[in-house]
Amino acid sequence: MEPERDGELRIPRGETETDDNDQVESSRLSPESMESAERPRGPWFRALTIEERILIGFGIAFLGVLAICALSYSSIRVLLDNGGRDTKSHELIQLLRDIDIATDGAEKQLRRYLVTGDPLYLQNYQEVAKQKREALHDLHSLVRGVGEQERRAERLGAVLEQQFAAQAQAIAKFAEGGTRSVKKMAFDGVAKREIEEIHRIVAEMDRHEREALRRRVTESTAETRTTSVLLAAGAFLQLVLLASVYSLIRHDITQRRRVADELKRHSRLLEAANKELESFSYSVSHDLRAPLRHIDGYAALLRKAMGDALNERAARYLDTISASAQQMGRLIDDLLMFSRMGRQDMVRTTVDLGRLVSEVLEGFRLDLQERHISWTIDPLPLVIGDSAMLRQVFVNLIGNAVKFTSTKPRAEIAIGIDRQTATEVVVFVRDNGVGFDMQYASKLFGVFQRLHRADEFEGTGIGLANVRRIVHRHGGRVWAEGILNQGATFYVALPRGEERA
Amino acid sequence: MKVAKPILLAEDNPRDVELALAAMEAHHMADKVVVCCDGAEVLDYLYCRGPFAFRQKGNPLVVLLDLKMPKVDGLEVLRVMKADATLRSIPVVMLTSSREERDLRESYALGANAYVVKPVEFTQFVSAVKELGSLWGLINEPPPDPS
Repeated sequence: MEPERDGELRIPRGETETDDNDQVESSRLSPESMESAERPRGPWFRALTIEERILIGFGIAFLGVLAICALSYSSIRVLLDNGGRDTKSHELIQLLRDIDIATDGAEKQLRRYLVTGDPLYLQNYQEVAKQKREALHDLHSLVRGVGEQERRAERLGAVLEQQFAAQAQAIAKFAEGGTRSVKKMAFDGVAKREIEEIHRIVAEMDRHEREALRRRVTESTAETRTTSVLLAAGAFLQLVLLASVYSLIRHDITQRRRVADELKRHSRLLEAANKELESFSYSVSHDLRAPLRHIDGYAALLRKAMGDALNERAARYLDTISASAQQMGRLIDDLLMFSRMGRQDMVRTTVDLGRLVSEVLEGFRLDLQERHISWTIDPLPLVIGDSAMLRQVFVNLIGNAVKFTSTKPRAEIAIGIDRQTATEVVVFVRDNGVGFDMQYASKLFGVFQRLHRADEFEGTGIGLANVRRIVHRHGGRVWAEGILNQGATFYVALPRGEERA
Repeated sequence: MKVAKPILLAEDNPRDVELALAAMEAHHMADKVVVCCDGAEVLDYLYCRGPFAFRQKGNPLVVLLDLKMPKVDGLEVLRVMKADATLRSIPVVMLTSSREERDLRESYALGANAYVVKPVEFTQFVSAVKELGSLWGLINEPPPDPS
């Protein structure tokens, strides 16, 4: 009775689900997965992504640079410090020599004065003594806070004061009694003991300062050597680190390039396959329909030629031949459309679903004249999409609702918004028709998948496959809920708002 | 009735020709049909050359043109016709199996006057042929022959 049982034309479902295959393909090609598959390292290291590894590498390098900076800074501080103290030491030594010379100088000038009474010598003496005081003052400020040297400088100051006092006394005596009264002093020298003491202290301070100077030079040299070794080691470590980060990045780039090449190759293959498919479906469109037309045409001619001679059984055979040819014609048309919906470029615009649905309903009006259907159409949103393709979605969904309620005396069909979020809107088409068993829900959207016998409801089994393909191309989802003999609800989730072009 | 002018049917498949003639017969138009089996023959007919060198002068009422034909295909015939000043005015109806968008687009771009997809169902095919015949053969006023 019904030779076109749908089972005979069934093709494996998996082969038509291009969307799922795409996902498998893309995850297989991701750089991370290739990365972890190829690099045998420590477990913690392998767990990191390439970005994290590079970040860690750069982090360590950065800390290294910081450490080198700190080390250099402290070392330069020490060297600068020592340099400053060296300068002071040299000044100190100079001052000590000045004091030493000035002490002898002053002594000589005073003696000459005491012998000759020439005020010029006194003036010279006072000049040198003043220089000595200044030098002593400078000395004090130089050694301030430097323990031993400060103590020695104080003693030096005290002895100098004593010497000055003794000399001042000699000058006073000379003013009183003339050369004669200070003759002995002039020959023996004034404050000889103090002068010796001064020389001794100065020599001691000089020795001490030179000693400190030598120590500091040794220290600076050692410091410089340590610092250079540390800096060299640090720089070497930095180089190693940066080199490994570089090799990581390089490796990553190579991986990415390889993946990109792979993708390019795949897309070329896909393009070629697509082209082949296109010419294939073109041939199908042209050549497969012609024999079907002939079958139906000649069956009609035969029927006409036989006229009344045709018996009832032969007439039925001819009808079946015609019906089969026509069914196959519809299958070819639907398959071609299904193929076209997958290949055709999408023209994205703002689509008023409300208006689109009312236009679709208008298209059904003639077919529905004999039917009693109560429609509930809620206001529908604007979406972004290809309006011709979306129309096909609603033609199929509403057509199904109409078809599968045809056995019900009072059909009810509702269309509305199930829910909307910021990113998508879910539209439903609900009917109270024959419904379906939820255990077959996954089969609904496959090509040539039908849940009803061909003699129950007509159809080619492509409509919902087409719906799914179109919705997926829009970046949306489609699913269905149903209860046997109570009805079915089909949900279409479409992304809303701005879409990538 | 404009008896003198024929309908030119360009169709390579003899079964399609037979079915088309049967459909025309049902509407008493078959005697006006001239059949060409490929594009080259169509051009020979239009330019009165080769086997058609001695035919009665004058353009056909309408050309029913199949797309896929041996030697010269339908689109090529259409291109030649629409580029020729004496043939340009002949109405051309593409009569084909193809519903492919690019065929439609190219045909209209070249200046086809109509595009009819042959239905698989014979009854629909018959009615399509009848509509075509009555439009182009009866209702439509053909362009005057170029003098």
